[in-house]
Formats: sequence, structure tokens, C-alpha cells
Amino acid sequence: MRHIPRGLRALTAAAVTVTLLAASACGGDSGGASSSADGGKVTLRFTWWGSDTRTKLTQQVIDAYQKDHPNVTIKGEFGEWSGYWDKLATTVAANDAPDIIQMDEKYLREYADRGALLDLKKADGLDTGKFEPDTLGAGEFDGGLYGLNAGINSFAVVVNPAAFKTAGVAIPDDKTWTWDDFAKTAAEITTKTGGKVTGTGALGTNEAGLNLWARQNGESLWTKDGKLGVSPEKTTDFFKYILKLRDAKAIPSAEAISQDMNASLDQSAFATGKLAMSFIWSNQLVAFSKATGQQLKLLRIPSPDGQAAKNGSYYKGSMFWSISARSKHQKEAAEFVNYLANNTAAGDVLLAERGVPPNTEVRAEVTPKLKPEDAATAKFIQDIKQDLGDPSPAPPVGGGQVEKIIQRYTTEVLFGRQAPDAAAKAFLNEVNGELK
Amino acid sequence: MSALGELGSLRGKKPVGQKKDNLAGYLFLAPWLLGLFLITIGPMVASLYLSFTDYNLIQAPKWIGLENFTRMLSDERLHNSLRVTFTYVFVSVPLQLAIALLLAVVLDRGVRGMAFYRSVFYLPSLLGSSVAIAILWRQVFGTTGLLNQVLDVFGIEGKGWISDPSTALGTLVVLNVWTFGSPMVIFLAGLRQIPTMYYEAASVDGAGVLRRFFSITLPLLTPIIFFNLVLQIIHAFQSFTQAFVVSGGSGGPSDSTMFFTLYLYDRGFGNFDMGYASAMAWFLLVIIGVFTAANFFASKYWVFYDD
Amino acid sequence: MTTETLHRSLAARRASGVTWARIRPLVIHVLLAGSALVMLYPVIWMVVSSLRPGNEIFRDPGILIKDLRIENYRVGWHALTEPFTRYLLNSGIVVLGSILGNLVSCSMAAYAFARLEFAGKKFWFAIMLLSIMLPIHVVIVPQYILFSNLGWINTVLPLIVPKLLATDAFFVFLMVQFIRGIPRELDEAARIDGCGKASIFLRIILPLMVPALATTTIFTFIWTWNDFFSQLIYLTDPHMYTVPVALRSFVDSTSSSSWGSMFAMSVVSLVPVFLAFLLGQRFLIKGIATTGIK
Repeated sequence: MRHIPRGLRALTAAAVTVTLLAASACGGDSGGASSSADGGKVTLRFTWWGSDTRTKLTQQVIDAYQKDHPNVTIKGEFGEWSGYWDKLATTVAANDAPDIIQMDEKYLREYADRGALLDLKKADGLDTGKFEPDTLGAGEFDGGLYGLNAGINSFAVVVNPAAFKTAGVAIPDDKTWTWDDFAKTAAEITTKTGGKVTGTGALGTNEAGLNLWARQNGESLWTKDGKLGVSPEKTTDFFKYILKLRDAKAIPSAEAISQDMNASLDQSAFATGKLAMSFIWSNQLVAFSKATGQQLKLLRIPSPDGQAAKNGSYYKGSMFWSISARSKHQKEAAEFVNYLANNTAAGDVLLAERGVPPNTEVRAEVTPKLKPEDAATAKFIQDIKQDLGDPSPAPPVGGGQVEKIIQRYTTEVLFGRQAPDAAAKAFLNEVNGELK
Repeated sequence: MSALGELGSLRGKKPVGQKKDNLAGYLFLAPWLLGLFLITIGPMVASLYLSFTDYNLIQAPKWIGLENFTRMLSDERLHNSLRVTFTYVFVSVPLQLAIALLLAVVLDRGVRGMAFYRSVFYLPSLLGSSVAIAILWRQVFGTTGLLNQVLDVFGIEGKGWISDPSTALGTLVVLNVWTFGSPMVIFLAGLRQIPTMYYEAASVDGAGVLRRFFSITLPLLTPIIFFNLVLQIIHAFQSFTQAFVVSGGSGGPSDSTMFFTLYLYDRGFGNFDMGYASAMAWFLLVIIGVFTAANFFASKYWVFYDD
Repeated sequence: MTTETLHRSLAARRASGVTWARIRPLVIHVLLAGSALVMLYPVIWMVVSSLRPGNEIFRDPGILIKDLRIENYRVGWHALTEPFTRYLLNSGIVVLGSILGNLVSCSMAAYAFARLEFAGKKFWFAIMLLSIMLPIHVVIVPQYILFSNLGWINTVLPLIVPKLLATDAFFVFLMVQFIRGIPRELDEAARIDGCGKASIFLRIILPLMVPALATTTIFTFIWTWNDFFSQLIYLTDPHMYTVPVALRSFVDSTSSSSWGSMFAMSVVSLVPVFLAFLLGQRFLIKGIATTGIK
């Protein structure tokens, strides 16, 4: 602070003391309003994002829990995705974070690595014994468990059988199909419908496609120690394949794809019936079925040589339960998370709204009660279990930005503004620059 | 700060016989001063301090001196966001103000049913930044949107206006111009302040519509035009919500709608780099400050006050 | 000017512009109606969408309704943890407080800046303008920490108290510009009649700046009603949620959204602002123009 006049320095120090340090990270118990105990009564704050359907179901579970635990009051705070993260960041910065946090893989390490989340392995009253073993990995790093899987997801190809029928094309066998088969099928649909329906949505509209591509080739988007694990060569191949799809008219125009990247699910090309196939997360099947009004089907991701076991699939946490490291009621919070994750009564209400339950006992209880689309998702998750690869490491700090970055470079490639190899290099450079 | 000291327009000629009245002045200013010291200054100084730190929102800030500012020199995406923002400011502000003024004058007098039209023209501004806008904009400017359907009737082949990097910014300019309601209302209120007797006198002199507009309306409206210009420029430099909502927060396609504030937000809340975001904010403050000061300086030559 | 010349000049004008004068209103109406339709298409589309079943909304960019459904309104009203009335009420409280605050505090500050001579005026004015030049995203965290230390989170105080303390420089500046349009002779006359600063403000300035006050009221209403970010941050308890926060809770970008309910409740939330505008714009008519001073 040598170059700053003393007066300004004093003023700065004063203002900062008042506003920042009073509630900064090192402070132990300065966060006032977050939760309060009063004669054995405990108030927990629980926050999640999602639409009104999720809000209703979650509130039902809260009500049921409060009935069984009269000493616990749970205040549910809900909101939509982007505002959710602004609010969470702000409250964490002010040492005023909610006790129980619905967390996404993107931001998990962002918060955990900086000490904002509790290591759930050390939490009292939380049991993960009945969890599918593969499902814990994504929330586990540096020897701790910072996010408990709240629902299983897998990347998949979604198929609109009606569109295949119109085109007169048979749905291929997803256990043996290769990327070439995939491209051929998609191109055939576009041709046979005269362009009315396009074969498929593009890869590269999120990072999961690249991750699978890397995993199929012995690499991985992220490594366990928090670095980029995909090479420029494989990324170039990935972009080249997207161009191949474009040139075969298997995917829509660059404009249409770029438009879809930030469209809401219901407004996207697949949801409005303009595509025969697309890449989605398995728990989105319900929403897409509702939007298209069709019975949709999930297929495995293609592989390089037609072996489904080598297509690199993995169980992703659709979202996670985390507990604030500064919660004053960690035990009560852990007990509630335990209820959400392991209690069959809670499972009966929540069903598969957040993804297929990772607790095998809850899943067995819930499966017969699922709506047809949810049941299809659950079955798909069950079916691919034998073909799974290693769990995919969570993105490192700064890695949450990768989706936006790959969207941008896919757009550049599709519009022909950058060649695949240049785009691959620039993409990796930029992602590396974001990592801390 | 010295540039902003040049607030020429406030100088106004002092009427003879009026002395300095510090007590009354500060009494009337008291609520604002209270707000300034209790609410505004603290967070502002804090953000200034943070701009010299590495602050990730979760851990305590670390002092790093000028590093954030030197980093801005080599940040290509930041330079791009400046280009986008400047283009947006210089295209959309004049367009929006011209249309707002034109409609305010047309709607102000003469034709019957004006109250109805005023409300109708204001309606889009009511929608403001709602999520519905994002949906609407895709329905109109998307690849299969309304605009392309209309163009199709005339045999013109449309395109994905929102998703083509070369036209996406244009749709945001249209969006901004479309919500011209606020400056229009301010113009309307300003027109109400022009004494009708001026127009009566001009009518008697046989002045036509255009002459009345240029010799009465325009000069007497300059304080309001000046206000709208200053505030709309500040507003356009800070433009965030519309680009955020339409591009889903990405500033895409290909950063073509990545406004400065959008990038700032992306760094601060997306990448947890609040120190850098604060540095960007203070840089923006300097830019806006220079433009505002220039505006005030220039206003001496074209804004007429009655006092 | 004599009445004779006046009559002559009016007659001459009448003769030259007979046909144009007759056509002109028609032309203006056609032009206005045409552009009104273009302006309104998206709004109409929104209303129409609110009357459609959710999954039809995105398949049809047209504005013809095949079967009219009002169930979006019924469902949307009760879709969240509280009935929508609660959110309307919460928004109403915030809006009323903000309007009151802005009207009182901004007009006082504006009067000081426009009419009173005091030491440091230019400096404070510059500071005031500077205070709105910093993007909200970098001050929101320090501000939240400040209000959180005051124990104001989950109350309407962080939303209303700043308005009571004239932190909205936009309106101060707006009123300054309007007050400067009021002829100074009026103040002088009142001063000679023995009025002090306060009564000049109350009896001369305030009544004459009704258009500016109406503008402030309208804008405060609309901007506060639509303001998402600060209401989202400061009101964390769902009982306290306001309309914009509630509206976004219908939408989830990653999974299923209730677009029908969202559009329906958006239309509902448009009604109060639209009424506020209709009502407020009446007051734009009053002011100097009708009092005919000078």
C-alpha cells in the first residue's frame, strides 16, 4: 500500500473493516441471521433451484420432516438457476449461507476447495451405505465428500420415434453403433424427410460430449488432480467430427445450432419437433417428452468401434446435497440430508424429479411408482450400469466456465470462422487460463 | 475528479440579491447526504479496495496492487466487450432518443385518442427485463421466427438473426429502441412544461409545424433532451439485463453481445474473480465519467435554461 | 397585433391547408396504428400464450387461439408455496415505500441543487452522478454485508431505506432539470411576499413540477415492480418473495418449466403497472402548460 496517501488508506481501511472483514471468511461466528437455536428449537435454511414442480414436491418433504421432528423448522428458499448462484455467492461472501445447499457439479469444487462446504464424511447422522458405489465419486475429492449425489444422470442420445417413422428409417441398435453409423442415420433422416426434420442436434453444445469423446479415446476432460486431461489432437478430432455432421447435413445450420445453445429446453429445436435425435441428460427425458408430446426413447452414446462398453459413459450427479461449513447446526442439517437421500417416504414424494435415486433401496421402492418417462429413464440408468467407465472427476476451480467456452468455439467452427485445429488449441488455452 | 468538476450547467447565473444559503442547502440535502455516507460510500470504497485485491468471494481478499488493472491491458475478451459496448451505445442511444422524441411530439397534441397510443407505445417498456422477453425475442428473430416468415412472403431469405454473430447485437439495439417508453414519457412531461402561449404566438405569426418545432419546442426542451442524453448514455454503458436475458447469460453467439458489464458479471460471479470485476467496474466508471463530463461541458453550448 | 390581422392570417392558413388538414389526422392515425401493431405484437403473443396449453406455446409463433384455456391462470396462481396474491402484496409494499421515499427525498435534494446556493454544491452533484456510474454487481456484495450486519436481511428495509435517502440519482437529476425549467421570477415573487425557502419549495416548486413528480412515480413503480436482482438477494424467505422473483421460479433452464403459468402470471403482474401508467400519465397533463404562467 506504499503508493496510496495516508488519508485514503485510513478511509479505505475503515470502510473495509466495516463492510468486509467483519464477515470475511476467517470469521468464526459473525454471521448473524443464518440460523438460530432457541431452547432446543433449530431453524435450518435449505435452498434449491428449479421450477415450481420441484418447489412443490420439496416443500411437501419439508412439511413431512417437520411433522416428525417438531424441534426442527426448515425454511425452504427456492429460485431459478442463474439468480440462484448470484444469491449463493453473495450470501456465502457475507457469511450468511443457507445450511443445506443444492449444489451443481460446476460449482462444487469452486465452493468446496475454498472451505465453504462441510466434509460430509465427517458429518454425524449421514449414512451412504445404501448408495450405488459409482455414484459417490463425483462429489468426492481431496479425501473428503463435499456433495452427496441427489440423483443419477447419464449423457444419452434421445430419439423421437415419430420422426424416424416419418423418415422411414429404422432406429439403430445402440449397443453396437459407431459414430459413423450415427452420422449416417442422421443424414439419412434429413434427406428422406426433405429437410423437414433434421437428423440430430450437434455435439459440442455442452462439455459432456467432449468429455465422452475424450474418455472413449483414453483421455478425460478433467483429471483427478484438477487439470485439463484432453489433448489438442482429440479435441481437433471432436471438432472435425462436428464439421463432418454439418457437411453431411446431419445437423441443422450453424445459426440454428447456435440459437439452440441458450434456448430454454421447451423452445429448443428437439422439443419443437424439428430434430429426430439430440444429446441430452437422461433426467431431461420427462421435460422433453412433455414438450414434444411424444414417447421418446433414450439410446446409448455411440462409440468409435461399436462396443457400448467402450463408450465412456458414467453416472453423473444431476445435482448434489451440500452443507455449509459454517452452519451452526451441522448435525441437524446432516440428519435432514440423510432423510432426503435415504428415507423411502421422502423418495415416494420426490420420485425421480432430481434424477434417479442413487440409494438402491429408495430406487427399488420408488421405481414402480414412476411415471412412464421417469421409468424409462430409470431403466436406461439400470441398463447401462454394466458398461460404465470410471467415474468422471468434478471440474476443478474455474472449470465451471467450460460449457460457455466450448459453446463459443463450436459456434466458431460451425460458422467456419476457425479451423478445427486452431479452435481446439484456442479452446484448451482459454480453459487453462480459467483454471486456478 | 477534476474533469467532473466542470459541471458547467449547474453554474447558472446567480440572481442578484441571493446570498449563499448553506444552512438551507444542507438541510434540503440532508436525506441524500445521509444516504451517501451510510449506504452508498461504504460499498463504493469497498469495491475500490477490492479492485486492488484477489478476491474470490469466499476467502478473504488478498492485496495484489495494480495487477488487476495491468491484466485488463492484455485481456482480449475485455477489449472485445469494449468494442461491443461502444457500438451499442453509439448506435442505440441516438436511435432510441430520436424515436422517443418524435413520438412524444406526435403524441403530445393534435390528434384524438393520444392517451391510448401513449399507453400502447409504453407497453413494451413495461415488460422490461422479464424472462418473457427472452422467449419473445427468439420467437421474432429466431431462424423460424416471425421476421423470417414475413421476409419469406416477400421472397427474401431470412437468417438466424439472434444466432448469427454479425446480427445478434443488432437485435439488441432493436430491443433497446423498442423499449423507448421511458425517454418518451420524460419528453412528454417536458413538453407539458412549455407554456402554450409560445405556440399561440407562433401560430399567429404563421409559423409552420416544422418552424414551431425547431424554434420553440426544441430549444425549450433542451434541458430534458440533455437529461435523457446523459442518463441514457450512462444506462447504455451499463446495459446488462437485456443481453443477459436474450443470450442466456453467455453474451453469445461468439461474444458478439458480450457487453462490458456482462463480462464483468461473468468474471465476478461466474469465475469468482470479484477483484478483477471490481477493477473493471472502476475502469467503466472512469469511461462513463469522462463521457458525462464531456456532455456537461458541451451542454454549455446547446442547452438553454430559463432561470 | 390586432384582431384583424389575426383573422386574416388564420383564414389564409385555412385556405391553403384545407385538404391536407382533413387528411392529416387520418394519415397520422394509420401510421400510429400500424406502428402500434408492430410494437404490440410481442405483447399480444404473450397474452395469447398465457391462454394456451403449455406445450403448444413454442410450436406456434402466430397469435390465433384455437381453444381458449384459462387454466394457466388458475394453476399459476397456486403453483408456488404461497398464492400469487402474497407476491403481489409484497411487491406492492416495496413499491409504495419506494415511491414515497423517492418523491420526498429526491425532490428535496433536487430543490437544493437547482435553486439554493451553498458551498460545495458542484462537488456533491458530481458525487451524486458518480454514485450511479458503478455497476451494481460489484457493490452488491459489500452492500449485502452492510445490510446483513444491520440485521436487515429478509425485511423490506434494504429496498426502501435507500430510496428514503435519495440514493436514486436518476430522479434527483430529473427533478433538477425540471425545476430549472420553472421561471425563477415565481420564486422571487414569493420571496418578496415573505415566503421562506421551505414554503417556496412546498407552495411554488412542488405544485409546478407535477409532471416530474408523476414521471418519478410512474418510473419508480415500474422499475421497482420489475426489479429482480436486489429483491432476489435481500428477500430470502419465500413469504417475502416479490412478483419478479416468483415469476422466475416457474422457469428452470435445465429441466421442466411451467411456461403457461409463467406467461399467465406475467400478464397478471402487468396489470398493476399498466394501470399505474394509465393513472400516472393523466398527471403529465397538468403543470405549467395549463396554469399558463408567464
